Amino acid sequence: MSFQSTLGEEESVAEELAAGQRSISIAEFFEKNKHMLGFDSGARGLVTAVKEAVDNALDACEEAGVLPDIYVEIVDEGDYYRLIVEDNGPGITKEQLPKVFGKLLYGSRFHAREQSRGQQGIGISAAVLYSQLTSGKPAKITSRTQGGTEAQYFELVIDTDTNEPEIDVDSTTSWDRPHGTRIELEMEANMRARSQLRDYIEHTAVVNPHARIELVEPKGQFKYERGTDELPAETEEIRPHPHGVELGTVIKMLGETDSYSISGFLQEEFTRVGAKTARNVVDNFRDRYFGRGMSWSVPESGIEDAVAAAVANKSSEATDSFAAAVVEALKDAEPVSHADIVDAVGTAAEDAAESFGETFGATVRENAVAAAWEAVRENRTGDCERLVDAATTTRKGEDAVAGLAERIAETFADADERHRLTREELAALVDRAADRTEDALGASFGDTARENVVEAFWERAETVPDDPPNVSEMVGNRDAVAELLAAMTATDIMAPPTGCLSPITPDNVHAGLEKEFDADFFSAATRDAEVHGGDPFIVEAGIAYGGELESEGKVELMRFANRVPLVYQRGACATTDVIGDIGWRNYGLDQPGGSGVPNGPCVVMVHVASTNVPFTSESKDAIANVPEIEDEIELAVREAARELKSYLNKRRSMQKRRQKQDVLATILPTMAEKVAEVTDQQKPEVGDAMARIMNNVLVEREIADGTVALTVENNSDTAESLELTDIVSTETEPEGLPEDVRAVEMDGEYFLTWNVSVPAGEEATLEYDTDADAFDLSVDGVEDAKLTISQ
Amino acid sequence: MSADTDPDGEDAREKLIDLAAEFYDQFEDGEVPHLSVPTRTKSNIEYDEESGVWVYGDRESTRSANSVGGARKLLKATYAIEFLAKQLDEDRSSTLRELYYLSESWDEEEAQFNSQDESNGLIEDLEIVSGVKREDFHMRPEESGAKVMGPLHLREQTNRGDRDIHCQEDVGQGGYQIPNNPDTIEFLDCDAAFVLAVETGGMRDRLVENGFDEDHDALVVHLGGQPARATRRLIKRLHDELDLPVAVFTDGDPWSYRIYGSVAYGSIKSAHLSEYLATPEAEFVGIRPQDIVEYDLPTDPLADSDINALESELEDPRFQTEYWREQIELQLDIDKKAEQQALASRGLDFVTDTYLPERLSEMGFL
Repeated sequence: MSFQSTLGEEESVAEELAAGQRSISIAEFFEKNKHMLGFDSGARGLVTAVKEAVDNALDACEEAGVLPDIYVEIVDEGDYYRLIVEDNGPGITKEQLPKVFGKLLYGSRFHAREQSRGQQGIGISAAVLYSQLTSGKPAKITSRTQGGTEAQYFELVIDTDTNEPEIDVDSTTSWDRPHGTRIELEMEANMRARSQLRDYIEHTAVVNPHARIELVEPKGQFKYERGTDELPAETEEIRPHPHGVELGTVIKMLGETDSYSISGFLQEEFTRVGAKTARNVVDNFRDRYFGRGMSWSVPESGIEDAVAAAVANKSSEATDSFAAAVVEALKDAEPVSHADIVDAVGTAAEDAAESFGETFGATVRENAVAAAWEAVRENRTGDCERLVDAATTTRKGEDAVAGLAERIAETFADADERHRLTREELAALVDRAADRTEDALGASFGDTARENVVEAFWERAETVPDDPPNVSEMVGNRDAVAELLAAMTATDIMAPPTGCLSPITPDNVHAGLEKEFDADFFSAATRDAEVHGGDPFIVEAGIAYGGELESEGKVELMRFANRVPLVYQRGACATTDVIGDIGWRNYGLDQPGGSGVPNGPCVVMVHVASTNVPFTSESKDAIANVPEIEDEIELAVREAARELKSYLNKRRSMQKRRQKQDVLATILPTMAEKVAEVTDQQKPEVGDAMARIMNNVLVEREIADGTVALTVENNSDTAESLELTDIVSTETEPEGLPEDVRAVEMDGEYFLTWNVSVPAGEEATLEYDTDADAFDLSVDGVEDAKLTISQ
Repeated sequence: MSADTDPDGEDAREKLIDLAAEFYDQFEDGEVPHLSVPTRTKSNIEYDEESGVWVYGDRESTRSANSVGGARKLLKATYAIEFLAKQLDEDRSSTLRELYYLSESWDEEEAQFNSQDESNGLIEDLEIVSGVKREDFHMRPEESGAKVMGPLHLREQTNRGDRDIHCQEDVGQGGYQIPNNPDTIEFLDCDAAFVLAVETGGMRDRLVENGFDEDHDALVVHLGGQPARATRRLIKRLHDELDLPVAVFTDGDPWSYRIYGSVAYGSIKSAHLSEYLATPEAEFVGIRPQDIVEYDLPTDPLADSDINALESELEDPRFQTEYWREQIELQLDIDKKAEQQALASRGLDFVTDTYLPERLSEMGFL
């Protein structure tokens, strides 16, 4: 069998294969890969459909500035489940509606660089597709826009070959809602995910306290009322940050921009880049693209003559003046690179032309530059020695240092004429020289030493003044763009602005938790914005504790990304990891083994808001373990937990106090009784003694001869401020009241209000005269447990 | 010649009621009920030069109803006061242990004692604060007092009537068992020349069998280890009222020196009663370390605890006489201790024929 003949056979196989290949539509792809969208099981599918619809409703309402009212109903139709989601949002126009529901990957959310829920999902159209695949029934959508007189009614399916909507019914209808959208889908599902569904709705309610959500499903009805009338802050879309883009994106952006120069492009298309930052980036780019120009010392002598000699056909006066000027300029600019020489020669030439009227044209200048440069670069050995010496440690022998310096100087002879090199080229040069030094002298230079030398030379080299290529030149040059991207990454740029983010804010975290959980204690913390991979993010945490929360079992963990609850894949989520790593015993929660989710009557919620939340997988249920984000989650949770700790400590000490009080309340009276028995007297009063023992604030009234004395005795160890209101049953105003005590008459009684601050261990007395004999005293400002009133 | 100074217990009862009244006043004044007693620890014991006995220093502990623990203590104190007052009223008496068990029947759970140590401590508190001896409360300890053998004729007030007893003729081999409150004894007649307080029962029996009390007109008092209050009280009365010199005869080890100390100077627990219980003039017969050497007695080596005890005695103010210092340092040198009964190695009669007569002559007793 000759080689030739087998070749022909192979070709036909390839052709066969080629014939079988064709493209499939997106819809068809997703049809065959439902799990990628979160539709892998009947149970999960239902939750995902609800999630898409509710997310859209919330986003739409917020954008329209409307407080969301969302109604979710799930009806068991026997073979299928009917899902209905209705909202009071702005509605969808007749033109857009079929595309929004009938076309996959259509939507405004994907491109926007602002925090949005929609980033999380593939869109409601996936739910439509799933429904039509499992039940065969079309989606039924009713929508009415603000100001519209009637509502639009559509019944549609998705054509999976073309990824376009196929409309079965298109009509108008009357609807009692002034504006909003109603979606009805019939799909195969089961309620095994009932708890995830309920959790999803409940968590959504917690994290969106401005929304009112109702869930009706075969086994229950749930209403979540609003906790606040404040809409979340509007977010602004931001431009990308230079640290957060990839090469392909930059190439695309270059192709699309209106800017001409790189500097302009950077300032226009990116956030946080002003003129100065653009300059820094461009300088960094120049270093990479052109390399830097090595600069050397100006030789002591000979350079002036060399320059003069290079000048032809000019008067000796002019020539000398010119040469001197050049050398002076060079000495001023020492150390000098080739570019510096060009500069100096240019300036000297102009001056000479002015002073002597003789033109020093391009050729003359070129020759002068060449001559000066020649002289300068010949002079490099001394510089090399100094640089290497400074860069290496004293442990390197003098000979080794000298040897390396010598060889570096030598190797420069092979370099670019103008001694321009990129850092890589410089590093290679130093490497070669070091290797040769090793061979010749046996003196070795390790990686660190070499790196230090390279650094020293690189510092000495100067950025070249060449203009960078403009945008159109860059577009076709992939390597140049890669260098530009490297320059962007290497430059310090301010963190992106956070107007693109809308955190829930501590007050609303509080409100959300409070309305859903019957707990005794709430705390919330919102961190400042941080950056990961060029995208800004904010982490918030909230804690609810005690009350009706179940004390047995693990703490309930609520995870959110961009105000969307993450219901699945708890074990894979960074939030879970961080919370498990915190030592909760320190904050008052039981944590067997010292790690893992703690136990207790507690709810911990974590919200990560970002223009780009990093997830572990395409199902977007678990946040990826990005260190910057994990750090912030930990800090936010600890902040909220610290408040929990002080609350629990205070509660414990109040408990101990109560216990003490309870025991003493038994012992002291018994003792008093016994003592009275033994001494054969009436039982004495124990109230005052009790007050003193319990470190209480004691308020006593003494009346003598028409004068009332109210004494506040502070037996505790902190200062106390009280407001006492004494109701005196008399129609004549009490006399002798001090100025700061108000007396108000009401219904035949006088209300005296006395505000007083008493330091620890001291007392204060109010005296006044009256003929009354009935009084009623109330005290504000001290907890009941700490107060003893003895009227 | 004293007998019970407070036959009806009226004084004692009054003092107890006074205590209760103090609490009452504190309640009425709205004060936090409290009780201050001197701290009864080694750190608050002072050697009183004048009386030559141990007394309590100035440190006080306050039991205050401020805390749950303190309130309980005061409650128990009140209950105890009531009980003691009643007991005195009915002219009954009880032991410390009985008090502890009795408390279990009190209606208020918080007032019940958790251990006998607790009730013992409370009785001591009451003693000190009220200035009344617990014997006057009619409270008895478990441990019985000494047995006395010698030419002493006394009258004891018992609850079955008075008894006249001669401590040689009217007693058996065991001798006269002194009552818990030796103040109920009236001395009628005494032919003794001195008191010999003996630590161990074995030695006491040896002395009685050998007729030491008859031969030397000695009142042999058996201490029975660390002597009970009653024993110490009696010895003091014998010394003070009958002018009898007192010699103490114990084993030759640091614990026994302390036995001598408690007879002579007082104990930590009852330092408030040192004046009442201690006999500073009592002298130490032996076994001295010097005797161990001289008579070549059978010995045991000193244990670490013995050495520590000896060294702490060197710091003890009572033992800081030249005599004691010499003896203690000698003992540390020879690193040995010996029991008093080791004298039997020289023969059963050695102690009564030779050792004691020699020692007591040296000391001026014989």
